[in-house]
Amino acid sequence: MTIAPSEHAPAAAPAGRGTTDQTGRTRPGRRRLLTRTSVPYLLIMPAVLGFVIFKAYPIVASLWISLTTGNGAGRHFTGLDNYQRLLHDPLFWTALENTALILVVQVPLMLGLALLVALGLNSTKVWLRPLWRLGVFIPSLTGLVAAGVMFSVILNRDAGLLNWVLSLFGIDRVNWLGSPFWARVGVVLVITWHYTGYNAVIYLAGLQGIPQELYEAAKVDGAGPIRRFVSITLPQLRPILLLTVVLSTIGTLQLFDEPYVLTGGGPDNSTLTVTMYLYNNGFKYFDFGYASALAYALALIVAVLGLLQVRLMGERK
Amino acid sequence: MSHQLSRRRLLQLATASAAGLGLAACGDNGSGSAGGDGDSGKITVWSWTTAAEGLRSVVPSFERDNPGITVEVQDVGNPAIWDKITVGLASGGKGLADVLHIGVDYLPGYLDKFPNGIADLSKFGADNYQAAFAKGLWPTVTGKGKAAHALPWEVNPLGLFYRHDHFEKAGVDPDGISDWNDMTAAGSKILDATGVRLLGLDKTGATQDMDFFQNLMQLQDVFYFDQAGKITLASPAAVKALTIIKRLNDAGLIADTAGQGTEKRLLSQGKLATYAEAAWAVEYLASTFPEQKGMWRSMQPPAAVPGGKRNTIVNSTYLAVSGSSTRRKAAWQFIEYALTKPAQINRIFASGGVFPALKAAYDDPRFSAPHPFYGGQKVLRPFVESLSADARATNFTGDYARALKFASDAQSQVLLKGADPADALKKAAEQLAQQTGRQQAA
Repeated sequence: MTIAPSEHAPAAAPAGRGTTDQTGRTRPGRRRLLTRTSVPYLLIMPAVLGFVIFKAYPIVASLWISLTTGNGAGRHFTGLDNYQRLLHDPLFWTALENTALILVVQVPLMLGLALLVALGLNSTKVWLRPLWRLGVFIPSLTGLVAAGVMFSVILNRDAGLLNWVLSLFGIDRVNWLGSPFWARVGVVLVITWHYTGYNAVIYLAGLQGIPQELYEAAKVDGAGPIRRFVSITLPQLRPILLLTVVLSTIGTLQLFDEPYVLTGGGPDNSTLTVTMYLYNNGFKYFDFGYASALAYALALIVAVLGLLQVRLMGERK
Repeated sequence: MSHQLSRRRLLQLATASAAGLGLAACGDNGSGSAGGDGDSGKITVWSWTTAAEGLRSVVPSFERDNPGITVEVQDVGNPAIWDKITVGLASGGKGLADVLHIGVDYLPGYLDKFPNGIADLSKFGADNYQAAFAKGLWPTVTGKGKAAHALPWEVNPLGLFYRHDHFEKAGVDPDGISDWNDMTAAGSKILDATGVRLLGLDKTGATQDMDFFQNLMQLQDVFYFDQAGKITLASPAAVKALTIIKRLNDAGLIADTAGQGTEKRLLSQGKLATYAEAAWAVEYLASTFPEQKGMWRSMQPPAAVPGGKRNTIVNSTYLAVSGSSTRRKAAWQFIEYALTKPAQINRIFASGGVFPALKAAYDDPRFSAPHPFYGGQKVLRPFVESLSADARATNFTGDYARALKFASDAQSQVLLKGADPADALKKAAEQLAQQTGRQQAA
């Protein structure tokens, strides 16, 4: 098989093969697999196939399953029953409340911290910057389950490292995983530890893309460091900030691994998230119809929040 | 290919083939793909840890006695095995092993939710063994129908293991304890004398540590559901069980075992005076804490109510054949060989400490032998005797996992927030009814 020659070097076509015109398109009646227009499609074919098999099909199948109930293949159509049931399920609302609480508290905290870290790493006054950057990024390379197990040991009330450190300062042991309030704090702690460095690296890339001339011009105009941060850094970072806010929101709404390993959703459902509840319904209770309805409810919430954020934070025309 | 593809044609082909592959890959959504009754070839077995180890011990003799069949026992791990089996059943049996080791807490759910997922073993003659196993287990293998879908492997009669040295130091005579009122009083004496708490529970509910609550219910012949499948989670017996736990907690006798490895650590440090567990714990304690040799003893569990019964079957596990297996007969032959022959089941017991459900196994001298770890006590005998006395079937139903969740929430509310047991269980039972569509028993 031959690649079609470019328009700059038109070649006489062998008998039985087509030729290409100056736009690279084949003339009618020509037979050739690899042309400049078909090659890109062939190249993206594996990704498209993977998407269709492992994403598109399950998404469509899940929508159908959410409208049914029953066992195994003996499913029968029940319309919106699962969605109605969801509206009257106190545990769903508890899970949604917990997820929202973690979202409202943890995302701003983590992104604020990530921005501070990025500003520090961007400073020319910091020694051994590559080493610090590496150190900040390493937690995000840790497996989520491993992080959860590690923190469950650190936060153990009787034998945990954190309580031992606190006891050195004469502070009473905290029941990190045994009280609803502190368990939530524990989950926020793990997520913040895991993702702050990741977001800091994204911000760092954004900071390094801001032209220095802007800062120099502002200095000439007499702007101080805070004024420069507010008037130059933040506006220039807007697209990056939007990206991290949207990604973190989606990530938090899909929070599963950390509470699953750390608290199992307890104590008394205080760290139960929507995704955990979805998992329980699917894989513990075998209630696939209801689990699919939960998945779609969550997807809807994610979509609405994402759109809202893009609207509120996006570029104003 | 020798002909030119247009862009549109290329996309059409891609979409069609991907959709076809996707549909093919996703199977029939739990209908149980058609298996076969092959009686030779290689069969795989899914089990976990020590049970898998025990099962491997019978493979050489089975393969010798059944030429043409080879067996591979895979230690899938627990709880990972439940996700693997569930996903396999949900996808029409794809990727499942031929033989599955399933606990009583999952088997009814699988039979209920995946009607063709587990093979009917009655046609191979499983019913012939109905009387061969400890009482109270057969209803679990038949589920709602009449056909047997598994054979009982392990049975777990309840016991109470206690630290003889702590009891002695506190001047507590175990023979004087007949119910949990006595044990609560004894626990306070032990706490005062040794600083050691009576037992451990995960108060947070993270691990749904409900065995103790269930045992207290089962000692009163009650569970989350009655034999008709109606909800009994708010029954007086259930309230009594949770009240006992509340009293123990209020008296400071329960150590919180929340967190990875906490219970094991407390046991190794000698900080728990009792271990309310089933027969499997006989070998677990001996092999996990060999340095505590001679310190432990076993007794019948105290009754939940004064004058109440002191024996119950806590749980059990089974071997089943997946409906999608193409070698169902060979798989059945392996199950029959491993679970219905006293010599083989005792070989498994010796290798993995899995307490056999086969009654004929108990004639073996090991079940009457003094155990050095327990100070020479004939520790297995009481467990065997408790099986023959008034053993009732527990109806786990297909909604056990949901019941466990709501009960665990109720227990956490009582232990962490001081909630009233009756109120907490009433709320739990209502939620369970709402989510399952089951009625509450009168």
